[in-house]
Amino acid sequence: MARRQIKTALNTRLSTFQKIYLLLIAGFILGPFIPLIIQSFAFRWAWPDMLPSTWWLEQREKSLLPLAWDYVLSPYSRVWEATINTVFIGSVVTVICLAICLPAARVLAREKFRGKAAFEFFLSMPLIVPEAAIGIALLMIFISLGLAGSYLGIIIVHLIPTIPYMIRMLTAVYQGLGRDFEEQAMILGASRWQVMRLVTLPMLLPGVVAGALFTFLVSTNIFLLTFFMGQGKIITLPTLLFSKIAGGTLDASAAGITLVVTIPGIILLLITERFIKEEAFGKGFGN
Amino acid sequence: MTKVQLKGVRKDFGSFTAISQIDLDIESGELVALLGPSGCGKTTTLRMIAGLEVPTYGHILFDDDDVSEVPVQDRNVGMVFQRYALFPHMTVEKNVMFGLKVRGTPSGEIKQRLEDILDVVQLEQFRHRFPAQLSGGQMQRVAIARTLITNPSVLMMDEPLANLDTKLRGEMRRFIRELQQRLGITTIFVTHDQVEAMELADRVAVIFDGVLAQYDTPEALYQRPNSVEIADFMGANNIFDAQVSNGVAKTAFGDLQLDTDTKPVRDGTGRVLLRGEAIDLLLGEGEASQNVITGKVTAREFFGATVNYTVDCKGETIIVNEQSRRMVDVGQDVWLTIQPQRIWVIQDAA
Ligand SMILES: Nc1ncnc2c1ncn2[C@@H]1O[C@H](COP(=O)(O)OP(=O)(O)OP(=O)(O)O)[C@@H](O)[C@H]1O
Ligand SMILES: [Mg+2]
Repeated sequence: MARRQIKTALNTRLSTFQKIYLLLIAGFILGPFIPLIIQSFAFRWAWPDMLPSTWWLEQREKSLLPLAWDYVLSPYSRVWEATINTVFIGSVVTVICLAICLPAARVLAREKFRGKAAFEFFLSMPLIVPEAAIGIALLMIFISLGLAGSYLGIIIVHLIPTIPYMIRMLTAVYQGLGRDFEEQAMILGASRWQVMRLVTLPMLLPGVVAGALFTFLVSTNIFLLTFFMGQGKIITLPTLLFSKIAGGTLDASAAGITLVVTIPGIILLLITERFIKEEAFGKGFGN
Repeated sequence: MTKVQLKGVRKDFGSFTAISQIDLDIESGELVALLGPSGCGKTTTLRMIAGLEVPTYGHILFDDDDVSEVPVQDRNVGMVFQRYALFPHMTVEKNVMFGLKVRGTPSGEIKQRLEDILDVVQLEQFRHRFPAQLSGGQMQRVAIARTLITNPSVLMMDEPLANLDTKLRGEMRRFIRELQQRLGITTIFVTHDQVEAMELADRVAVIFDGVLAQYDTPEALYQRPNSVEIADFMGANNIFDAQVSNGVAKTAFGDLQLDTDTKPVRDGTGRVLLRGEAIDLLLGEGEASQNVITGKVTAREFFGATVNYTVDCKGETIIVNEQSRRMVDVGQDVWLTIQPQRIWVIQDAA
């Protein structure tokens, strides 16, 4: 349905220049995936061939070792385990991040206090300081606390780079919300809880969903911090992938894993896209 | 029907004083306008009455009960915000029902009152629309309906007409006035447009810089402002220095006989206020008997129904406003005359 909408939009509203521009952007974003997909189905693909000279399926029966997708889908690859870990950690991080950032963003958006500018600056520090530095420093502390190699440890380090993003996003949403709506609801007799449930949350929803989505995606993509804290005991999709491509080559099974890595994000994007559209924008919120 | 009183109310925001001191009595069923320039504290006053701000000092009384400490939800007031604050994720119907829903009113009664109020504001055909799909005037009617459905004892409106175009503004003004009279609800509305305040209100409270400057009927405010600033704000343009003695004001353009029986004045310095429409402009000297000022027309502004003449009188400029039944040419010598009882003298308090 979404595709049909885009198509009609392309046909009816856009000029030729705009269409070409959009296609270029789409190509730029989707382009890198094409060789990955081809690679994952290839058996032999050497320069300067445009396409693999031998395909995976042709070799499948002959080979003794599991190849490419067979390997990716088999328990030996640990892809399944890594996926579960990634999704679990990502979800917990997102929920905790929201719980921390919603009240913080409300204060930042609405109150003036001494040192607010400095506070906002320090909030961005984790984005500026290289991850490796944070990772090494934290690893020492976490080892002494016994948190290294535990889910809790990984979840805590994932909060470090995600909180700044989330707070920024939610602050912007809160600023756009204004006090009027909540005050109006209170004048009309709504209790604090009713105001939150009936007015604030529904109005913040698009921002909350966007922030949650972003947090989840960032969390599922963090390699270095996860690698340090996981200590090889807990693997996620990025650490698994890194162990496959660390050798410097991207073989068919690594390409396959790369594609698997993108799946949770894509599924989530599709869900939230629909959700945001139908819950908030579809009913005349944004148009 | 509720009587509202502000007693010695002051509001500080940190070290900034938004309202220094306001005493205000609003009779039950009265429609009062808070009028003043931007930033003078009108919204702050309204928010204190609503309970959204707590006064730093002083008390707010509803029917002689101190409500200063009563939380917003329990004050049973209604407030229409300047930008309406309609909930964008709810339809017109849901917006209007909100106040009754959160109070736990039985759904049968909600339905009934919804129909009634939608009828009053004539929004039946828009009931399933979202706010984003309404015009400014429709949004405002939704905001009013949403407030009225809860039967508030005091209705407040913060610049309710500011966002509307001129024609719609006139319509909404009549609509609000009619509704207010029909329901007899104590109403306070904020505006910085003096014409709007005069047209709508029973009494107008003029606020300058957090101080109540004058609280009077529109007519009194217009004809008898108690300071030059108020006269200025009410659109007066003929204000001149004068020396008052024995019921005569000496000005740069001549002596003016005052009517001291109805408007007593002190001897000493003062300012005379001559309303442009109270001055008669004559083309011959003979017709005038009293308070004659000679001058020459130096400019003419035509507004359609009325016309303004700028008359130079011995160095002072007097603006005369009259119905445009005739046109006097620029450069013409004229004789101005004004009746003693139409002259208002502003003097500093003794
Ligand atoms: N929450 C606040 N914190 C600090 N200062 C405030 C706050 N609310 C209002 N003020 C200040 O108090 C003064 C009065 O504000 P208020 O909103 O009452 O003005 P107003 O008369 O409604 O003006 P306008 O016609 O522009 O709406 C202004 O100088 C404003 O900056
Ligand atoms: Mg205001």
